Amino acid sequence: MDDELLELQRQFESAQQAKSSIRLSERNVVELVQKLHELHIIDFDLLHTVSGKEYITPEQLRHEMVVEIKKLGRVSLIDLADTTGVDLYYVESQAQHVVSDDPGLMLFQGEIISQSYWDSMAEEINDRLQECSQIALAEIATQLNVGSEMVTSVLEPRLGTLVKGRLEGGQLYTPAYVARVSAMVRGSARGITVPTNLSAVWSSLQQQLHEMDGASGVAIDGSFFQSLFNGIVKEGEVLGSLRAGVHWTPNVFAIAQKECVDSFFSQNSFISYENLNKLGISQPVQFLQSRYPEGVPLVSVFVHPSMIEMLDAATEDALERGSWIDSLSVLPASFGPQDAFKIMSLCPSVQLALKSNKALIFGESYVFSNGFVKVVYDQMEKELEHFSVSGSSGIIPSDDSQFVNAAKAGHDSNRSIESFDAGSESGKSKQAVEKGPKKRKGKSAGNAGAPESVSDNQEYVPTKSKKNQRKGKDTSSLQVSDSKTGAKKESVRAKEDNLSIPSEEWVMQKILMLVPDFEEQGVDDPKTILRPLANHLRPMLINSLKARRKAVFTENADRIKRLLDNLQRKLDESFLNLQLYERALDLFEDDQSTSVILHRHLLRTAAASILDTLLHNLDIHNKLKNGIEVEEAQNSESVSLSPGERTAIAKSFPGSLSNKALAVVDALEGKRVETFMDAFREIVEESGLLLKKLDKKLERTLLHSYRKDLTSQVSAETDPVSLLAKVVSLLYIQVHHKALQAPGRAISVAVSRLKDKLDDSACKILTDYQTATVTLLALISAATGDEEDCSSDRILTRRELLENQMPALKGLVLSASQS
Amino acid sequence: MEGWDPNTKSTLTQIPLLTTKAGPRDGAVWTQRLKEEYKSLIAYTQMNKSNDNDWFRISASNPEGTRWTGKCWYVHNLLKYEFDLQFDIPVTYPSTAPELELPQLDGKTQKMYRGGKICLTVHFKPLWAKNCPRFGIAHALCLGLAPWLAAEVPILVDSGMIKHKDDATTSTET
Repeated sequence: MDDELLELQRQFESAQQAKSSIRLSERNVVELVQKLHELHIIDFDLLHTVSGKEYITPEQLRHEMVVEIKKLGRVSLIDLADTTGVDLYYVESQAQHVVSDDPGLMLFQGEIISQSYWDSMAEEINDRLQECSQIALAEIATQLNVGSEMVTSVLEPRLGTLVKGRLEGGQLYTPAYVARVSAMVRGSARGITVPTNLSAVWSSLQQQLHEMDGASGVAIDGSFFQSLFNGIVKEGEVLGSLRAGVHWTPNVFAIAQKECVDSFFSQNSFISYENLNKLGISQPVQFLQSRYPEGVPLVSVFVHPSMIEMLDAATEDALERGSWIDSLSVLPASFGPQDAFKIMSLCPSVQLALKSNKALIFGESYVFSNGFVKVVYDQMEKELEHFSVSGSSGIIPSDDSQFVNAAKAGHDSNRSIESFDAGSESGKSKQAVEKGPKKRKGKSAGNAGAPESVSDNQEYVPTKSKKNQRKGKDTSSLQVSDSKTGAKKESVRAKEDNLSIPSEEWVMQKILMLVPDFEEQGVDDPKTILRPLANHLRPMLINSLKARRKAVFTENADRIKRLLDNLQRKLDESFLNLQLYERALDLFEDDQSTSVILHRHLLRTAAASILDTLLHNLDIHNKLKNGIEVEEAQNSESVSLSPGERTAIAKSFPGSLSNKALAVVDALEGKRVETFMDAFREIVEESGLLLKKLDKKLERTLLHSYRKDLTSQVSAETDPVSLLAKVVSLLYIQVHHKALQAPGRAISVAVSRLKDKLDDSACKILTDYQTATVTLLALISAATGDEEDCSSDRILTRRELLENQMPALKGLVLSASQS
Repeated sequence: MEGWDPNTKSTLTQIPLLTTKAGPRDGAVWTQRLKEEYKSLIAYTQMNKSNDNDWFRISASNPEGTRWTGKCWYVHNLLKYEFDLQFDIPVTYPSTAPELELPQLDGKTQKMYRGGKICLTVHFKPLWAKNCPRFGIAHALCLGLAPWLAAEVPILVDSGMIKHKDDATTSTET
């Protein structure tokens, strides 16, 4: 037995004797713990680990967490839950306790972070910052995996201590860098001499920095520059004022501005706003008013009261002399017309004169003394009297619309004349003959449309009248106003468009003739003054013209009445005759060629004369109505016009009357009597006259008188040739009771037609006589006019033959008429 | 190694293995072998104790260490049933496993040869043969007796073949 074996024996023995450790099952332990709880031996919370095999007290858990936090300084709760093996819920609730107990800890986005961690981070950041001279916060934030706001809040207390730098607009900068940039800012700020938008400056600085740093340079925010700049301004390193944060006005500029304004204003005693705008003063009126309270602001310039005094003296002078003055010529060149108007309204003398109606302001800058205007007006009025007509174009007085309306409505012409009388009574009895140079058109039409209203405005507010005028030119606006005034007024205006009133241009021309000063005095555009003056004068002139015209009407009314009565009478007579003759044409409707000849004949003779009478009288009537003097003596009965003259007269008629007249003139040239009759009726109706219709009774009496007339003519007739025509007409009356007007060429046909109506002997006499007449006429027409041949002898013999036959022929008709 | 419960297996693997192949008649080498047996037993005992699974007491009853006696016990229904344990180291050891005897239970169960030698599972022998000479007494106890007790004691108790000593006394008293 060696010792070792013995030793082992002993060891084995002791091992067997050793007390065996006691093991409890988990279940037993859980029960035990529960029992302990029940018995309140354990009187605190116990937590389970996630595995469920361990109990842990909150204190232990907290302790473990703190240990864990101290390792790194920053632990996420999820990691803590893993390492401690406790549910995240308990870890979170304990984390609250831990963080609230220790002020050096913070719970941030599920992580517990200690101040020491931040300190070390700040050191790290500082190291990097010193290397790079600038770091973006966002970069740090992404690196640390926290929000940039968090980084900011953490870094701010450490700036200047742990982190040697400056935080600006999300960037960290080193003092050296800040100094460099602020030097740049200072330099640029000092370099600025005019008001500048700072953001533009910053962007250029940014560009420069970018170029200096190359691609690695971080874009610097404008607000960094701005804050540096604000610091510089606060320290007084640069002088100036900042508006709205970005508008920098350097002091040097403001001083220069003020000096400039001061010197200009004191030298010239005015300054235009445009000048101020050039100097960069955006609200010139307020600026000037605050600086020169005694000054007066005008539309585009600011003036010293001395300016007004000067102008006042000049205008007063002009007014006293009974003359006129262009205030612009007195004022400096930079004054606009509106300024002139305004400054004039401030002149005491002008105010006084305007109040007492002694002066007028035209074209905004011209002051006229009333005396001057009156002189011009008187001269103009005289001028008007010598004003002569040019052209025979239809001229209707402005207030003839009543007549036209009346005529349209089919009223008696007398009535319309009466209404004229009434109208003219109210008018003043001034005499004037108006002769329009030409038909008014376009521009002036609008003005003439409402002359009264314009004249009202023009008296004292020339600007407005100008505007009105322009409006008037614009036809569309005119139409708009027209449509508003309603149909009746519209028609009136339409008529008035044709009026002939002295046009604006004409008035201006005349004024220029009367007062040559306007041109001599070097007015740039005489129209600027002439137009308003003319506008002022024109309504007065027109009024006087109207008055004169009305007077002419009263005078002419009687004549018109007489004329129309006369015309009516003549028309009645001749138109009835014409109708009578027209009836006779029916007999020859079947014979085409004869019918044409007869129609033409009738048109040439009876129709032409009646139309000429009508046209001539209408023309005179027209002229009278327009107040044009017509020689009384020219009232001759027989008027014969050439086709050209007829057309001219027809064209001179107003409106629809002219159209109708042209139509009837055309019809006269045609071949059919019927068309002429229709056209004629229309024109007569249009001109307000009446035509009598031919009825049976009237026809009979007319025929009777015609027959008597013819009979007496036949019995008195000595010329064998013309006897035939009359005899034939008489025979037609006797046989057909129709009044035939036949030309020579149609006689033979007419005679042949009579054959079957007469007895043979009468027929023979007629035929013989006719053939004899034809031969005679043929001979006469064939005669050369020379005495030597025998034709004259033969004519003579033929004539004698005819003369012999005449009694037989006469007897033929005279006996028949008596029977 | 199948045929044993995982607990047994894990325990078995933790018992230190032996190296010396020697029987009781091999003189000094046997002593060497005996030392290893002791070490392995110590380790197994300590292991049992630390696991609160102490279940036997044995000691060599002769100086050569060929005969071992002691006690073994099993807890069933909170009652501890204790039996005498004895066995000899066979001459052919370690090729032949020692035959463990529970003389008190002789004739009380079928899983036993005459003289109280316990019947082992069919898996025991091949395993032992395979691991010769690495398995020793400790292994035999762990692989053989422990599972046998765990299987047979509850049946014996339930069938009333064995009674707890307290019950026995009370029953005798009554």
